[in-house]
This record gives sequence, structure tokens and C-alpha cells, in this order.
Amino acid sequence: MTTRRDFLKRISSAALAASAAPSFFLQNSFAQDRGISLPGEDGMIVRSSRFLDLETPVEYFDFWLTPVPHFFVRNHMHEPSELNAGDWRLNIGGEVEKPFALTLAQLSKLPTHSVVNTLECAGNGRGLYRPQVPGVQWGKGAVGTARFSGPRLRDVLQRAVVKSSGKHVMFRGLDEVPGKVPPFIRSIPIEKALDSDTLVATHMNGAPLTKHHGFPARALVPGWIGAASCKWLTEVKVLDSEFVGNFMSPGYRFPNQPGKPGEVVKPEDTHPLTALNVKSVISGPLDGASVKPGHVTIHGAAWAGEADVVKVEVSTDAGATWSAATLGHESAHYAWRLWSYDWKPKPGDYTILSRATDNRGRSQPDTPVWNPSGYLYNAIDQVKINVA
Amino acid sequence: MSHKQSYAGADPLVRPATQSEAKESVSAPRRPELTSTLARKCLIPAAALPIWLAFSFIAIAQNPGVVKSAEDLLAGPMQAKATTACTECHEARIIVQQRLSKAAWTKEVDKMIKWGAVIDASDRDPLIDYLSGNFGVEQPQYQPPRTSSEKKPVAKLK
Repeated sequence: MTTRRDFLKRISSAALAASAAPSFFLQNSFAQDRGISLPGEDGMIVRSSRFLDLETPVEYFDFWLTPVPHFFVRNHMHEPSELNAGDWRLNIGGEVEKPFALTLAQLSKLPTHSVVNTLECAGNGRGLYRPQVPGVQWGKGAVGTARFSGPRLRDVLQRAVVKSSGKHVMFRGLDEVPGKVPPFIRSIPIEKALDSDTLVATHMNGAPLTKHHGFPARALVPGWIGAASCKWLTEVKVLDSEFVGNFMSPGYRFPNQPGKPGEVVKPEDTHPLTALNVKSVISGPLDGASVKPGHVTIHGAAWAGEADVVKVEVSTDAGATWSAATLGHESAHYAWRLWSYDWKPKPGDYTILSRATDNRGRSQPDTPVWNPSGYLYNAIDQVKINVA
Repeated sequence: MSHKQSYAGADPLVRPATQSEAKESVSAPRRPELTSTLARKCLIPAAALPIWLAFSFIAIAQNPGVVKSAEDLLAGPMQAKATTACTECHEARIIVQQRLSKAAWTKEVDKMIKWGAVIDASDRDPLIDYLSGNFGVEQPQYQPPRTSSEKKPVAKLK
């Protein structure tokens, strides 16, 4: 398997030294030393400390598997104040013949399956929409890739024997809801719930889930928006229809037809968000960087939800011409591909773009599809740098 | 509890589980009184707390690189009421990062009232004016802080 180290070797250590670290990255590194102390969360952008919402700086996209201390955290509510592995239960009910509950010990005895999945918050990139829309103003880093492991949800559901009336599966977590805020409950169609890669995940990158990532168990719905993968999972309920609640409607819906920026969209003209779309992000050089002429490697990550990235193109002249980037060797069905492009620039100011294409023929658009909640931002990525 | 109490460093509200805790059980108080928590943690006698806090403020004043773990709302006629109404449930940083029109702020305020924010009817319009005046589309973008770097080498994952 190609490691990050191997990948970076191809980026050429000499070239990295010659191109010089972007000045503002150094400033950011310096600032990290004086940042908010949050054990286990390393150099993360704090979008909110209560509820906890942490964004991964793009420079950490150089890891194919994002280390947990650099993995984005998204919470709608307060994390559970009490989590005791011994008392925890997973209750399975609803449209099933044999409702039952599992302890963590019982869950851990079920056959384990692993899925390397790129998990992305539906609102990743919301802060880049204009006009701006309400919500956590994510930049580019509400996304990460990890190896999630645990029993298949299908195995759990089959033990309960799903009735023919069971069409959707609802997840409830142990997060704590303040005031009269609607609980964070959503559902997925039964077909996705029974997919062999949909998990009740207990581990992330080989270690038990940390509290911020849903200990002791979370749903893992690969290729879909992060909101589908309910953390601190405690109830799996089979329903005869889609769950009705704030986070199914009006939350997490997308216009059926693209509209103009700022346009109001009627609820009946929307559909629930499911799979992620095709997207690439440049992780270096960083926006605003100043690099030396000679050999510069442009690099980043690209993903496509349930589809596969087949091509990443780079433009170093603001879109006038495009060249194919080299895709990294590490790949998995639901995981992003790292990519790189070797470039020999002369001094000057440059606008660098990246554009991914997947095996369904989808490519990143020039401009994002505007929607009132700022979901699924996937416009061609851009950084501006100076070579001098 | 005043939001300003969280100047003192690590935010106990968001303490994550360590691996050893994850194996056994996790119990983190959601809204502890920070002073008492610190007193217990640091074994500072209650009488010494004012002195300790004073030195903390001096240290922060002399070191502008220190980042507040919780954000404050900007001064204004509705600052106190907005703080009470909004930060009961979420940090002010959620507000200060928004750049919204008055119409969009109106929708947000009404949604939050529906979701339990306690705002007198007579305060609704002044609150919307305060929010759209301070966090409107013309304001420069908010620059978020980072968590501190642990400076440990990251293990290679396989």
C-alpha cells in the first residue's frame, strides 16, 4: 500500500524545500501553539466550541486516512453528558418481527466489516456561497477519510427480521437537545440500510471511536452526507415511510432544479440529500502562498460519494488550459483519491484550479449550484499563489 | 454562568474522551461551573481564586496570542439580552461568523424563538437590528481560531 510518505516522496523533498513553505502557513502553525486547547484535536479550525464543530485545515488532506486528531467534528446538539459502555444499548425495533436490544459486548461479537469512507458534512463549503446563508460557515475542511469498522447494519436488521412494510430506517443518537430544538433524527431508505457496506461502526482507523466521533457506536452510511451517519447510535427503527422531522424537512434538502443565487425555493421543489457529489480540493500550495520558481507540486484530494473519481485536472492559468494530475495509488470505493501535478512555473501571480470527474461523467461545475442552506458545494477549487 | 469565565483555557464543555476512557465509560459535565471545576482540578483554595484569575487576565493582556475558547458578542444595546437568549444553548461564535441580511436574520431569530430562545416580544425587533447591524453582509469575514497543536508526530496509518 502506498503510504502518505511514499506519496510525498513523489512530491520530491527537494522541490518542497525549494518551493518554500507558504508564509501564511508558517504563521498559522505559529498561531496553533496559542490556539484553543482541546485534547485530542490537533490544529483544527474552531467553527464552534459549543456545539463542537471543528474543521480540518486543508494541509491535512495529504493523508489518505485522516488521523482522528485532524478529522472534522460536526455536532448539531450537545454531546452526551453520560456515556457508559456497560449501560449502552442498541435498540432495534419498528417494522420488524423480533425487536431486540444489543449490549456493546454482544455487538462486538458480530462479524466485523471495514469500509474506508470519505465522510463529508453536507454543509462543507457553505461559507463559500454568495450570498451567504445561515449555518456553520464551513470552509473546505468538513471532510475526512477514515477506515470505519463494525458489524454490518444488515446483519443486525436481519436478526430482527424486517417486515415487508419496512421501507426506511431511522437512527436516533444520544446527543442532548437543548430547549425545544427538534431532535437530530433522520432516516435512510431500506435499500441503503441493507447495503453490505453500511455499518454500525465501533472503530475508526483501528481504534475505538472517540467521544466526538460517536463512541461507542455510530451509523456509517458510506458515500452519503455525514448527517446520515448518526453518532452515539442508540436506536435503529424500521419505518414504513420516510421519517418526518426537521432534519429530513426542511433540513438537508436540495432544490430539484438549480435556481439563481438568493432565490427562495419551495419545500415541494426539493428532495432529501443522499449521496455526495464529485469534488476536489487543492491542499497545496495553500491559497495566498508565495513559492519559489522551479519545481512545484500541486496536490490535493478528490472524491465522489458512491461514484469513483476517474480524473483530476489542474489548470495553472485560471482555466484557459487543463492538464491531467496523477492519481495516488491508494483507493477504495467510497474513499477519496489523493492527486498531484508537477509544475515548473516562472515568476508571477497564478490562479490554480482543480477539477475532478467521476465514472458517472460528472465534473465539478465552474460555479456551485446555489441552494438556500448552502449544501453540497462542489465548484472547481481555486487557490491564488505568487511565484517569486 | 458568564461566558467570560471560559477565558481560562481549556474548555471543559468539550473535553473529549481519552482512549482509556473510551474503553470504560465517559462522563463529561456539560455545563459545569468553571470556577468550581478549576478549583477542584487545580486544587486552588477558594480564597486564592481571585488572585489567580487576576494574574490570568494580566497574562492574557500581555499575550495577545492567547485565544479565547468562547467568543463574545459585540457591544451594543442588545448584547446582554442576545447573550442570555442565544448562548444558553450555543456559543456566540455561531452568531459572529454569520453574514446575513436583515431578512435572513429575521428568519433565524423567529426559528430560534420557536426552538425555545427566551426573547420578549418587545425585544425581537431590536435583536434583529442588533444582529443584522453587527453581523450583516457588509462586515468583513470572521477569522476562526484553531485548536492548539499537540506537536506529537502522527502515527502512520495502515
